[in-house]
Amino acid sequence: MSDSAGGVQFTSLLDNDVIGRIERMRLNPSRRLTNRSHGEHLAGKGGTSTEFSDYRDYVPGDDVRYVDWNIFSRLNRPYLKLYQHEEEMHVAILVDASTSMLFENKLLRARQLAAAFGIMGFMNYERVSVHVAHQADGEPRVMPPCTGRINFKRMFEFLESIEGGGDAPIESSIEAMLRRHRGRGIAIILSDFLSMGNVQRAMNMLFSAGLETFAIQILGPSEIEPEVTGDLRFVDSETGGTLDISSAGDLLGLYHELRLSYEDELALICRQRNGRFMVLNSTDSVEWLLFDALVRRGWIQ
Amino acid sequence: MNWPGFYSLGNAWLFVLLIPLIIVYFLKLKRPRKEIPSLTLWRQVINDQRVNSPFQKFKRNMLLLLQMLLLLCLILAALQPFLPAGVEQANYTPILIDNSASMGAVDQSNGQNRLDIVKQDVLELIDNLPPDHRMSLITVSSSARRLTDFTDNKRVLRDALAGIEVDEVASQLDDGLRMAQALVRTVRFDSLLFFTDGNVPADVEFDLPFELNYQRLEGQGANIGVTSLNARRSSDSRWDIFVRIEGTPYAQTAAELELLQDGEIVGTESVLLERAADDEQTIPSQRLAFSVDSVGPSSLELRVKPDGFDALASDNVAHIDLPESRHLSVYAPLNLAAFRHALGARPDVDVYPTDESGQPAARYDLLITDTTGEANPEANVTIYVGVIPDDLSELIDVETGSGEVVDWQRNSPLLQHVELTDVQMADEPKTKDEIRDGDFEEQGYEILAFGRTGPLILKKRQGKSLAYYFLFHPDRSTLPYRVGFPILVANMVQAALDHADLAEVRANRTGIIAGQTLRPESHYVVETPDDQRIEIESNEEGLVPGISANRVGRYQYRESGDLVAEIGASLLAPAETSLRSIREIQFREVSVTSSDAAIETDQPLWPYFALAAFAFLLVEWWYFQKRPGGVPV
Repeated sequence: MSDSAGGVQFTSLLDNDVIGRIERMRLNPSRRLTNRSHGEHLAGKGGTSTEFSDYRDYVPGDDVRYVDWNIFSRLNRPYLKLYQHEEEMHVAILVDASTSMLFENKLLRARQLAAAFGIMGFMNYERVSVHVAHQADGEPRVMPPCTGRINFKRMFEFLESIEGGGDAPIESSIEAMLRRHRGRGIAIILSDFLSMGNVQRAMNMLFSAGLETFAIQILGPSEIEPEVTGDLRFVDSETGGTLDISSAGDLLGLYHELRLSYEDELALICRQRNGRFMVLNSTDSVEWLLFDALVRRGWIQ
Repeated sequence: MNWPGFYSLGNAWLFVLLIPLIIVYFLKLKRPRKEIPSLTLWRQVINDQRVNSPFQKFKRNMLLLLQMLLLLCLILAALQPFLPAGVEQANYTPILIDNSASMGAVDQSNGQNRLDIVKQDVLELIDNLPPDHRMSLITVSSSARRLTDFTDNKRVLRDALAGIEVDEVASQLDDGLRMAQALVRTVRFDSLLFFTDGNVPADVEFDLPFELNYQRLEGQGANIGVTSLNARRSSDSRWDIFVRIEGTPYAQTAAELELLQDGEIVGTESVLLERAADDEQTIPSQRLAFSVDSVGPSSLELRVKPDGFDALASDNVAHIDLPESRHLSVYAPLNLAAFRHALGARPDVDVYPTDESGQPAARYDLLITDTTGEANPEANVTIYVGVIPDDLSELIDVETGSGEVVDWQRNSPLLQHVELTDVQMADEPKTKDEIRDGDFEEQGYEILAFGRTGPLILKKRQGKSLAYYFLFHPDRSTLPYRVGFPILVANMVQAALDHADLAEVRANRTGIIAGQTLRPESHYVVETPDDQRIEIESNEEGLVPGISANRVGRYQYRESGDLVAEIGASLLAPAETSLRSIREIQFREVSVTSSDAAIETDQPLWPYFALAAFAFLLVEWWYFQKRPGGVPV
């Protein structure tokens, strides 16, 4: 794989220069949902990191390595330097690869975003895992949690190998992911959320598991601005179910009302659980999404 | 309330077309399949729609409904519905259109003359002509002309209507009404529609067997024009020209007059006609006189240049042709010494024969003779003295006795200012038994003087010639010794002068130009002012027939392209120039008042249905192509 300059292209999902820019970015969770294991995130409690926190009087038994000798030399009294504790954060990425995601590059955009979020996680020493949902009753394919830049290639290969197809509803996929996932952090859900099921229950489970939800609804142009007129028979791509529509043009107004209200409902569910929600158009460029939309919303920095 | 009717109810079978329309609609209703990512939102949309829209079934088949409405409108239009006018209409409607000169008057600023406005009204009638009704178009100006038979062919009627033009002649309503009278004998109709501007004779001398619907067009355009033009010779080489200018009574008018002789201006005048004090009762007029020199034949043209708006243009020019000045040629045998003596006193009269060996004249204007037969030279006016016409030999005898004049026509040109009382005569014409005055009239004679036992002086017109018969011989009477004798001879000379157009000339009016005497048995082409060409032939006497002259201007007689005669024709109709409009036409027993109400006809409704069908077509197209409502921008 090579880029236009003759160098090696790391992945087909993102250009090297985009990867380079992503490497300098990091996720910006609103809560500190970290694990006890050592990591890059300040835990709000004393620790052994290099980040200075406070002073306190020395008491017998304290590790003399943390005595501030400069102060002792001026005041002739021992004070102990306190440092913050840096903990590790889990980043669980769920990619919806059901049949509905095969329309209009929705799955491609989901894989690109998953790759971008994974890079940010690896570069900040998070534990990144990727889950891919296909069939309703099957377990998601998983890239186990791993950390470090060394796992770039592994993640890229995993994401590139995703083949869409299946009828997995997103709420079932979330529950299946939580059955395997351990650890607190961020859950990034990349899906079109076109499900008849109870999304609210799945969000509750994410919240209970200590995962801050980053929900991104990826819709195609035909879902945001459908151009249909006359009498039609709609066929569901996942279930094969049909629905007869008469004077489809007349129904578009109602369709848009319902779509917007569904988005509002999803946003409310996420917000009530300290999560975040946004809607993307699959035709939007990944650069614009990463370096403009998500940055302006404060999802990444 | 009048319920709508249908002219073509037979087309109701077209309603059957609704059946295939419905069948085809539902057969064609095959929904195209469209795969979408998920039905989630659309199922919700359908559920909400069922709740929110109770008229969904109605809306679902909106296209079918629109198509059915469109088809219904087309079928109803094909049925030709109409709204009855409320009155029973005759199946035959003759329309009489006045196209006399006043109909060419322009009353409005848009340049439409009255005939154009009338034609628009008639065109509307033609367009609304019901299928089972027939119409006939008749025009009337100086004469009536039937343009079409009774027909329901609208194209024929429209073409005939479009071909109507203003005839620059005075109107003669009688002619048109008589033609309608003749029509009613062949086709039964109850009413005659008469479209006019009201500038028609107010009295009609007969009654009509049908109703006259008098549709009068209102018009108040100011006008000034020449209504009379004649010339009288004042000396051998000088003519006095008399002109009468008249105008509309309801407006003050003014004009500049120019008199042109053979194309050169020989006189100008200004005319101002005040508005009539009693409005339309008095026609403002002014008489003017010009004097021109003319020895040979010449043409005079009087132009009226209106100062301001002028409704009628055809009365702004008049033509008169002055004849060549010459002495009157009179032939009186030498034995009629009394007549020759009286004629000799006139300087403008050449009396023939001059002596026993004198040369005869080429033509004679007046012949006075006491004999009959071919020995007499031909003349335009002949005075027979002591002669009984051959065709009256069965009616009258002349006996010797003592005759005297009992009565005579004092206003006759021959006998005016002549006192015949106490004239004694040795000849006494005596009417035979059971012969009455009417018998003379049947023979074409007019009795000018009566004796005790029969007529004394008769007058007869034969073609272009005029003859007077003195049934007694003046030489055997006391007439030559009376003061009235020279006056009688002077009247004879004046009659000859008038007949030869040597003393007084009147401008020709439009309508008909009388026959002319030209070269015998020749082919002539008459070019009219409106560039028409009329081909005529002269007979063996050189007489060409009269021609129709409906345009003001000069009519040129050409033989093989060479101009041989030119005659001017002028409107010279005071009634047309005044543009006076009458409200009421008085017939012999009844009068007809102009109708102010518009003519009611059946109102056809098919255009509205056709329009509605077109509207439904547009709505259907819009509905099919419209941008869905409620889509956020």
